[in-house]
Amino acid sequence: MTFDLTILAPHIPFLVKGAVLTAEACVLALAGSLCIGTIVAALVTSASPVLSRIAYIYVDLFRNIPFIVQLFFFFYGLPEIGIYVNAFATGVIALSIAGGAFTSDVIRSGILSIDPGILEAAEVSGLSKPTIFRKIVMPIALRTSVRPLGSVFINLILTSSILSTITLNELTGSAKIVASDTFRPFEIYAVLLVAYASLTYLVSLAIGALHRYLNRDQTEAA
Amino acid sequence: MISVRGVRKAFGTATVLDGIDLDVHSGEVVSILGSSGSGKSTLIRCMNGLEKLDGGRITIDDFDVSRPKELAEARKRSATVFQLFNLYPHMTAVQNIALAPVEVLKIPRKQAEADARALLDSVGLSARADAFPAQLSGGQRQRVGICRALAMKPRYLLLDEITSALDPEMTSDVLAILAKLARDGTTMVFVTHEIEFARTISSRIVFLDKGQLVVDLPTAEFFAADGGMAKPRIAQFLSKMRKD
Repeated sequence: MTFDLTILAPHIPFLVKGAVLTAEACVLALAGSLCIGTIVAALVTSASPVLSRIAYIYVDLFRNIPFIVQLFFFFYGLPEIGIYVNAFATGVIALSIAGGAFTSDVIRSGILSIDPGILEAAEVSGLSKPTIFRKIVMPIALRTSVRPLGSVFINLILTSSILSTITLNELTGSAKIVASDTFRPFEIYAVLLVAYASLTYLVSLAIGALHRYLNRDQTEAA
Repeated sequence: MISVRGVRKAFGTATVLDGIDLDVHSGEVVSILGSSGSGKSTLIRCMNGLEKLDGGRITIDDFDVSRPKELAEARKRSATVFQLFNLYPHMTAVQNIALAPVEVLKIPRKQAEADARALLDSVGLSARADAFPAQLSGGQRQRVGICRALAMKPRYLLLDEITSALDPEMTSDVLAILAKLARDGTTMVFVTHEIEFARTISSRIVFLDKGQLVVDLPTAEFFAADGGMAKPRIAQFLSKMRKD
């Protein structure tokens, strides 16, 4: 058997299109899961027992169901009750909801690790609750949460490959088609390995840089 | 005026404040003394609305701290400096000081930061204005904490054992700033174990014991043999503090 990447040349535009689709879905899903995760973390740590309970149910529900089952429910199940959403939007929404459950857990841990004295200082200075959350709670929580959040986001990128099961020809879906066209699965999936590894490595680098920036007071000379 | 009337506070079955009455008038420096667990810090926390009262009433310039709608106004008139600084770790000294003026008093950011730098200059920290709390010593952090409180231009400054976490040298730096504030006529309620300093700057001294107000006397009278010192509990406390 030979390892010949040149056989992939005619398929590069198709694979790039799939990679772009993966990137788009991941960027939107990362933003979506960060928004959902932040809101849910705020609800979980809120003073309202009802809101906190609802938020916990969401987290428990979506953390404990396989992503592919959630995805199939959204894509194949919901049309049965008249809710039709295209494959791309379904993928992004499903990834955001599932990712939001994990993201909220990480942010919640970050929030709970904040010294209560800091929040009291903010409170007595007259800052409103939304301002305290925006200016004090989230920036401090992110300092400790950013690395575990990076793991959640990388997992989200890897999970995006499952979107190929709902007719979405993202990177993995495109690769499957090329593999079946060329009968050269070794080359195509080797490229896929490198592509995902590169993508997640870039995210790791970005998360590392963000972590250093958010914690710059710990490293810069006094 | 800060008015404390019949304030009661309990944590579970432990009564921490038991019917406290106290008035603090404009321009006064009132030191609150007492042994650990006497309720000093809880009284400060009740004054700034961090603890809910189980009974009684506290007003700051007639704004009731127990009423959520009035608490915001009460907090605009008073500012608290904490024992453990409680600075925002992700913000520089200037940002720590300027945040509340920008967000609460709606002062333009540039103006608030200029004011913050002037305050830091007044406490000898102009060179550390852009340092983060982790890059400051304990005394420097507490000076930033005082500046953060002063930036809100409060009528009343509540100080909760602000030198307890500092070494003697840092303590003297911080006390020098408080002495200056006292000379400038800043109204202060000062929970402390620094007996001699309290004697120097206070107009009145309040002594708490087991949640009860034992005496509330002008400073000279408090330390007089026939005044506060005539009370065995106070004499015992002062004697022990001086030995320590």
